[in-house]
Amino acid sequence: MRRYETVFIIRPNAGEEEINRVINYVSEIITADGGTIIETNRWGLKKLAYLIKKESMGYYVLCDFASVPASVAEIERRYRIDDAVIKFMTLKIADDINAEGALQAVDAVNDRVTSEEAARQEAEDDDDDDDDVDDDDVDDDDDDDESKEKNNR
Amino acid sequence: MAPRPQKKLFSRRKSCRFCSDSDLVINYKEVKTLRNFVSERGKIIPRRIVGTCATHQRQLCEAIKQARHIALLPYSGNPQG
Repeated sequence: MRRYETVFIIRPNAGEEEINRVINYVSEIITADGGTIIETNRWGLKKLAYLIKKESMGYYVLCDFASVPASVAEIERRYRIDDAVIKFMTLKIADDINAEGALQAVDAVNDRVTSEEAARQEAEDDDDDDDDVDDDDVDDDDDDDESKEKNNR
Repeated sequence: MAPRPQKKLFSRRKSCRFCSDSDLVINYKEVKTLRNFVSERGKIIPRRIVGTCATHQRQLCEAIKQARHIALLPYSGNPQG
């Protein structure tokens, strides 16, 4: 089994159902051939660097998986037929990965995600604690300035 | 060979940025890192100006081309910039 990474862009006006539909058939093709999905990451709406099919924004999805090469051909065939997917790219990350390695990768991803969430939560808690705003007494000496200006004239 | 008249002396770094700092990863997803090696118009900056080593320059080029394919970086910038 090889480890692949596929990024695909879905039209921005496609709803949640469309996005889920695409992700579902991708996962079905992978698992049908006995592969493992390591990560499905939705990057969300992003501005495209150039117009693709006259769209300036797109919904990005990243899928990291391990499977046989035949499934990649099948997924790409489905992408080409689908109107919602405007751009896709599949890269090979690793040549040989067995089932255990794939499961380890899944665990590594889960650990990373939970640690990132924990770090974000801590950062939020820290922000709540730092609410010491000191309101200094500001002396408004505007009257003095006005008098000086009048003298200069 | 006649000496090449270099009007501008580009600040050439003595060490490759990726060799010295192992935290930097060359990946098509890291758009912020890749933008440092791309000109305003979107062209890849040559290695003699940036100071990367050959291996990392090749990896960079590949990553930039992949990012362009997936519209994270432009192929060519607008003539405004």
